Amino acid sequence: MAGFSSWTTVVANLLVPVGILTFSSGFFPYKPLIPGLATFDQTGENTTAPAVFDKVIFMVVDALRSDFVYSNDSGFLFTQSLIRSGAALPFTAHASAPTVTMPRLKAITTGSVPSFLDVILNIAESDTTSTLAYQDTWLAQLKATGGRLVMYGDDTWLKLFPGMFDRADGTTSFFVSDFTEVDHNVTRHVPNELAQDDWSAFIMHYLGLDHIGHKAGPKSPFMIPKQHEMDSVVTEIYTAMRQQDHLQSTLFVLCGDHGMNEAGNHGGSSAGETSPALLFMSPKFEALGGRRESPMEPSDDMQYYRTVEQADIAPTLAGLLGIPIPLNSLGVFIPDFLEMWDHGSHRLQILYQNAEQLLNTLTTTFPVATFGPDGTTSCASGVLSGIEEAQCAWTRVQQLLSTRDEGDDSYATAGPALLQFLRIAQEVMSRTASNYDVSRLTLGLLITGVAGLLVLPATYKECTRHGSSGMFLMLMIITCGMMMFASSYVEEEQQFWYWICSGWMVYLHIKSQSQSQSQSSAKTTLRNRFGSLIYWSDKCIILVLAITQRLLRRWNQTGQKFAAEPDIARTFFTRHPEIFWGLLILTYVDAGRHLLRSIPIIRILKLGALAPAVLAFTFKLHFVTSESPELLDGTFISQIMKEWPYSLSLVLHARLVFCGLALVVLLALFGKRSRVPRGHDTFHEALHIFLMTQSRATNVPLFLLFRIQSGILSSMNLTGIEVTITTLIFQYMTFFAFGGSNAISSVDLASGYNGIDSYSVVLVGVLTFASNWAGPIWWASQSHRLRPKKPEQDPSALLTFHVAMSLISVMAACTALRTHLFIWTVFSPKYLYSMAWATANHVAVNLLGEVIFSRSRS
Amino acid sequence: MAPDTSSASGASPLTPPAPDDKPSAPPVNILPSLIARIYSIAHPALLLALGATRFEAVVADPTKELLSTLPWLTLVQIFYVIVCLPPAGSTPSTETSASAPADGRSSPRSSGPGGAVRHGKHGKRKQHANSWACIWSRLLPALLSLSLTFALATPVLTILLVLFGAPLTTHNSETVLCAAHMAVLSATALTYAHGLDRAVWNEVWGIARPADAVWGSALGTGLGAWFGAIPIPLDWDRPWQAFPITILVGAYIGHAVGSLLARTPLVYGKRVKFTVEEVSETEKKTN
Repeated sequence: MAGFSSWTTVVANLLVPVGILTFSSGFFPYKPLIPGLATFDQTGENTTAPAVFDKVIFMVVDALRSDFVYSNDSGFLFTQSLIRSGAALPFTAHASAPTVTMPRLKAITTGSVPSFLDVILNIAESDTTSTLAYQDTWLAQLKATGGRLVMYGDDTWLKLFPGMFDRADGTTSFFVSDFTEVDHNVTRHVPNELAQDDWSAFIMHYLGLDHIGHKAGPKSPFMIPKQHEMDSVVTEIYTAMRQQDHLQSTLFVLCGDHGMNEAGNHGGSSAGETSPALLFMSPKFEALGGRRESPMEPSDDMQYYRTVEQADIAPTLAGLLGIPIPLNSLGVFIPDFLEMWDHGSHRLQILYQNAEQLLNTLTTTFPVATFGPDGTTSCASGVLSGIEEAQCAWTRVQQLLSTRDEGDDSYATAGPALLQFLRIAQEVMSRTASNYDVSRLTLGLLITGVAGLLVLPATYKECTRHGSSGMFLMLMIITCGMMMFASSYVEEEQQFWYWICSGWMVYLHIKSQSQSQSQSSAKTTLRNRFGSLIYWSDKCIILVLAITQRLLRRWNQTGQKFAAEPDIARTFFTRHPEIFWGLLILTYVDAGRHLLRSIPIIRILKLGALAPAVLAFTFKLHFVTSESPELLDGTFISQIMKEWPYSLSLVLHARLVFCGLALVVLLALFGKRSRVPRGHDTFHEALHIFLMTQSRATNVPLFLLFRIQSGILSSMNLTGIEVTITTLIFQYMTFFAFGGSNAISSVDLASGYNGIDSYSVVLVGVLTFASNWAGPIWWASQSHRLRPKKPEQDPSALLTFHVAMSLISVMAACTALRTHLFIWTVFSPKYLYSMAWATANHVAVNLLGEVIFSRSRS
Repeated sequence: MAPDTSSASGASPLTPPAPDDKPSAPPVNILPSLIARIYSIAHPALLLALGATRFEAVVADPTKELLSTLPWLTLVQIFYVIVCLPPAGSTPSTETSASAPADGRSSPRSSGPGGAVRHGKHGKRKQHANSWACIWSRLLPALLSLSLTFALATPVLTILLVLFGAPLTTHNSETVLCAAHMAVLSATALTYAHGLDRAVWNEVWGIARPADAVWGSALGTGLGAWFGAIPIPLDWDRPWQAFPITILVGAYIGHAVGSLLARTPLVYGKRVKFTVEEVSETEKKTN
């Protein structure tokens, strides 16, 4: 290990992943689940309530926010007419964070509140440990009664329920730019399935609306036509339900799994993201006489009609279909549907089953609490909280039920008490949905702390040796660590890095000025005309750096508070596409020029080296044409692209680019081993083009800015530690400038499949990391070029110390604030990002680069 | 935000690029008169108090309030520099006629570093004797510094504010007014005390002036404005978190702290100096 100053750094870097693993195992626990399937109590004298429906058509429209269906400018005109006639019962189903598809589907089918771990598993699609094959769901219950299930749409269902469906056709949700084909794939099966009568559940999951949201936001011009399309599917199904005999007693559910925010993303807990629509439709509901106004104005932010929990879908479906409620459900039967039964005893039965099932989960979670007729908890005493309140409510239910008379009015007395108990139990359970293993959290913290302590002596020595810059680094690490305890600073972390970067530039400016001051006194005699030019460029070069940093800062608005404000990538470039294309072409020309220059081979072969650059440029054009054609509108590029002969597929095109770049690097490494720094230059230029390929098209011109910045920085003759601090700040700053943030929703998945036609965890992981961490990777490579020729300082210890300290602060924040309201929406995503920073960026990019280049240097 | 650097680049285009061989001006001292000594301490407190009383109004309507308080702030600053600071030698005619006998002693930016500032009782007596000319000799540099503050320092500070993150497409009036306030706080005293001394402005641009009341307040304004950006991202949703307010509050506090702190013996005359080079150099030798 030539790159490491001592064994302590090596040990520290081995300890960091161990600490992360230990902490994660305590922070993301698998919840205790009750195994097996629920069954009706056979011994009970109570007869179960008869099923109202025997089939269900379950139509999920991904990211169907409540206002897409209910508001005035909705495309769901037929659905709204059903709401007016009373045939559709509308709700807003509250989806708790994380608002991504897989956890939401788990909530819908099991009725439970999924753990945060499901978010990671949602991205690592191929994972099979998260399946619901062995959990109790309403699908499993239907299957257990001998029903057949069919499924069309998002293949997340197929992964969640392997082998559950008798007929299925899955579509993958990762090709986000596809608006039409992905839905057509579902719709084409609908007439056929409506004609069949063998299924008891027909599930559809439409992805197109979510894709439109991700690409162009909820106000996209594609949105209303897509809503019309979805509405026509509703029309087709509802008409079939009216006309066909075998669909006479079918329940039709239309719902969104989550909503979207104003940018079209989801994952967090804003009102838009947590408020999907939920409708139950059947001609039978008209008898209830519940005619409602539609379209209408929301009562609150995105809240239309009655707001229910998404978990309530499972017990409601179970009740209406006459199947047992899934064992781990935390849902409450939606009381509006109680009127479907004429007998009060049936209604009571539905609620009582729900209550018994919730009580079962309560006693599993709180083994010490006693529930029963003898549990005479002091209900009278003041304010009760949590489990005591649930005990008290249950006691009241028991009293009411034991004193009831024979007859229908028992529902009138005990019903409200039962509902109250259900709501309290639901609240208690969802609050304690995850239990932390505090000892493991502490152990993880300790291990990371030891890693930090191990590199502390080396870091301290470095920092005291370099005085002011060492002090700056220490202050930066401390303030950054303190910020991790404030949710809004975690959300707006980019502001810190922009802020600290401006401070660091002032530092660099003062230092370079004092240097030039001392130098200028020495060579005043050399001053001439050009001297004054140099003099002024010396003085004002920092302004250019500041301007580029300011541009970087406004390139992508990110975070929470200012995310919707205009920026360069989304607002300016869509208004001025010709400027965007000019910059893009300029960036590629610059990249090609540098690549050409850095290749140490003879003239004629050199032109061959241009091929990867040209290929990369055409790939980007190709990609933009298929992914975001709105950038092409009305530019000269669109004229060219019309004429362009497409013979290559995107996958093959990307592979050609990658192979070309790999070939260039191999040539540089083995072709002529004469000059070693040349090898790094070639590698850096190839990496430059690779990262451009992996970045969003609107971010590509940033690489031109990087070029300018690194030019200025290298003219400043930075010392070793200054290079380390500069690249550290720039790594974090550019991560956010590329549009990254500490929210799960900002992970950019569009470029993760470049050159790949099937899912592979490793390849997709590497490509996704490269596209999200493009800025940090670039600066890690650039740092080796900025270093002074004589390596006076080894940055591994400093970098390790920084990573350990930031991990410790995030872990400590997660431990201390584990009951905080924002723990799952702000702090846990930050912890996930810290994991990526510490493992992938620190170990794989920074340290590996250090090892390779210090070896090649020596 | 580091606006102090601004005033430098604002002034620099005026001065032709010529070798700056002469030693730069020594730190500026407050005038020795009793009024000057008392008021120089009361002035930062007065500014803070005035700022505090207008805070609510600034939160309610930043543009209007910043505009209407700007003349008053300018008046207070002019009063401060006239009462407390020695004027620059850039207006020699009036100054020499007014205080010729006391020259060398009372005019601070005179020749060598020795001429710094031990004001005796002469200066005080002279000022009383020829008070009208004396006031004129102060008013002229004050007006000059005022015009420089608004014509040069404000635009430069505006640019710097934007470079340090102020919005460019919106809030333009707020940014300009914020820059104007900061310019009045920092640049008025600098231009009054130093005029267009090239060496001084070079030092200001390089943030290398020795600490004194003038430079301390300018540097404090900039640093304070930089730290003033901290509360903006918090999700408290308070009206005072809007763009220029925290920056300005930071600048005012920084101005007060800086001008007082820089006069304490501990800091006075010292320069912002980074110890990177020397230490690493010696380390390399020992290695």
